[in-house]
Amino acid sequence: MDLTYTAEEEQFRQELRTWLAENIPTEWTVPGYWATLSDEESFEKRREWEARKTAAGFSGIQWPVEYGGRGGTPAMKAIYDEETVRAHAPQTVNVLGLTFLAPTIMAIGTEEQKAEIIGPMLRNEVIWCQGFSEPGAGSDLAAVATRGVLDGDEYVVNGQKIWTTNAMHGDKIFTIVRTEAGSEKHKGLSMLLIDMDQPGVEARPLKQMSGASEFGEVFFTDARVPAKDCLGEIGQGWRTAMLLLSFERGASGVGQYTEFRRQYDEIVAEAKRFGRAEDPVARQELARCLVELECLRYHAMHILTQVEQGRDLGSESSMTKLQWSEAFQDLWEAFEHVLGPEATLSAPRPDVDLSPFHAQDHWSRSVTIWGGSSQVQRNIVAERVLGLPR
Amino acid sequence: MFFALTDEQQAFASTVTEFLAERFDLEAVRGVVEDTDGDGHPLTLWKGLADQGALAVLVPEEHDGLGLGLLDAQVVARALGAGVAPGPWLATVLAAEAVRIAGSAEQQSRWLPALAAGETVGTVALRGEGGAWDGSGITVDVNDGRLNGSASPVDYPAVAGLIVVAATDASGTPGLYLVEADASGLTVRDQHTYDGTARVGAIEFADTPAEALPGGDAAAVRALLARGAVLNAADLVGVAREALTRTVAYDRDRNQFGVPVGSFQALKHALADLHVAVTMAEHAVLFAAHALDTDDPGAAIAVAVAGSKASDAAWNATGAMIQFFGGIGFTWEHEAHFFYKRARRRAPLFGSAAEHREALATLTM
Repeated sequence: MDLTYTAEEEQFRQELRTWLAENIPTEWTVPGYWATLSDEESFEKRREWEARKTAAGFSGIQWPVEYGGRGGTPAMKAIYDEETVRAHAPQTVNVLGLTFLAPTIMAIGTEEQKAEIIGPMLRNEVIWCQGFSEPGAGSDLAAVATRGVLDGDEYVVNGQKIWTTNAMHGDKIFTIVRTEAGSEKHKGLSMLLIDMDQPGVEARPLKQMSGASEFGEVFFTDARVPAKDCLGEIGQGWRTAMLLLSFERGASGVGQYTEFRRQYDEIVAEAKRFGRAEDPVARQELARCLVELECLRYHAMHILTQVEQGRDLGSESSMTKLQWSEAFQDLWEAFEHVLGPEATLSAPRPDVDLSPFHAQDHWSRSVTIWGGSSQVQRNIVAERVLGLPR
Repeated sequence: MFFALTDEQQAFASTVTEFLAERFDLEAVRGVVEDTDGDGHPLTLWKGLADQGALAVLVPEEHDGLGLGLLDAQVVARALGAGVAPGPWLATVLAAEAVRIAGSAEQQSRWLPALAAGETVGTVALRGEGGAWDGSGITVDVNDGRLNGSASPVDYPAVAGLIVVAATDASGTPGLYLVEADASGLTVRDQHTYDGTARVGAIEFADTPAEALPGGDAAAVRALLARGAVLNAADLVGVAREALTRTVAYDRDRNQFGVPVGSFQALKHALADLHVAVTMAEHAVLFAAHALDTDDPGAAIAVAVAGSKASDAAWNATGAMIQFFGGIGFTWEHEAHFFYKRARRRAPLFGSAAEHREALATLTM
């Protein structure tokens, strides 16, 4: 075991920490600050922030320099995640593009795609959405029904996507589309990169239980996409999608832990404020949550080790998803239990605003659904890790 | 960043696992479990462990030990748990740790080589009946080098040549004391645990002469308890992993209603959750062992996390083992009860899951 980072990595931490200290406005560090903004205000501030951060050389930490990245190690990415969370920096609005699409393009994109897509994405000049889920499909990607028909050198796309993060702000969407008429399941699919700013694309917000609209629906009615904007081979969309999803590496767990641990500490502070911190049952429940969060941290170090050694994580990422999503949801269940009748009040006392807590609490109900529900993840662990029969 | 066992540590684990498979398999374990009048301390097993250095792991090289850390010791504990192996390994290792941490140079040269070689069996008496595992549950008093009171439960008191006793002096300060098996005023009573892979007893001290470990202050008692908690958690993790592996293998092949029962989602989801839990417990034990080895300021938190997570994982995995083997898992003939009973006996030792959580709450609230 050696849980330290190299001198080079620690130096990177210092540089980043210094830059963040100089560039994060004090108001951002107030708990719940982002929840006080409208979706529009929040989006614009985050877009501007991303551009500034990229200009300072603190984006694309692990990306090759030729793509505008920093050429850093997986550990530097983990340090980046940890420090940005610690400094209260907002999460990028381009997370799906940066996490999934960019590495896929680097791996199998055409030279033109590499040149045109990656830089503007890194600077948040072009915001990317993911168009995988459909009303009739959800976690079952092979049930995709949106179809694309070749017309000259363009595909004409019709259909609907749902649960699209940032649908209202997206400039482009990477979609799975059935391009072979009559094909079934994972055959005959293609990954098309579609311009959302065109007459045949309509995005509608979905109002969530929290009242916010991070998700939306996207409708395609004779939308057009040049055939050259297919990522990977035409008809091989399933293979492209599997490659793309394989980039969900669990090394982001270090940053997640830092964020969730801060939330745990905030919940504890509220429990104290409302006189619940000495209740033995409440203490057991909160400690149980912390045990799972600490395990998430150890697991993140385990995953980082695997990534650094070049191992393919495969189905292990299903374990990571289960651990963080269930631990996060349990934490907010504990918030409700521990605070009791005060938990649902936004202003239980004149000087207390629990609405940011409610936003997290309600958000926690979504994390065990999106990205493959906990039930799907359990099937993957059971079948592919434990080898149980289908 | 390297959060994993080294090749050497993995090889060490393999030698213990292979030795158990070849020389002390579940049939041999059954022999110990069913020999209820026996001392539960088979010498073939003990000598084998000594030969492999499993008793010498933490003893410094100058005292004929391997001079390694808890991270290395926990691989042995894990392998012994997976093999539900009987014997006073943990008791002896902890007695040696007490002497290493708090003993004088003379005490160390006298006892450490003998404990490392398996010539002397050691044990620790750190708590009285009903007491807590944080150093406050001591029910032995020391006065003028003489002990009075009792300790329970104690592992393998009947075969131990050396007993490390936690006792409080007139001012209520805890300390560590050495008592030899033939000391006067020492009574050992077998308590007959239902976990047949261990022998457990209570010790009564009546004006029993004892030798103080000079460094044995309250901090030393806590350090010993923390090390016991991590090694006990490692044993529990071994029990949990093996119970789960055996259950999965069985449910993959066992047919009911015309299909393998492992194809039923109700089983799959339960087994997947157990796999995640056991994996997290493995991580937690690794982290805690490393934290103690490196005097990490977060070590107390890490020990509490490992202690509670490993207890829960073993408790749940061994209960599931009986359930998912069906009726056969409930029988005496089947091995499931070895795992189940060992988990139940060990889960509350060195702090129950709930005690560790309370400690965690105190540390973070």
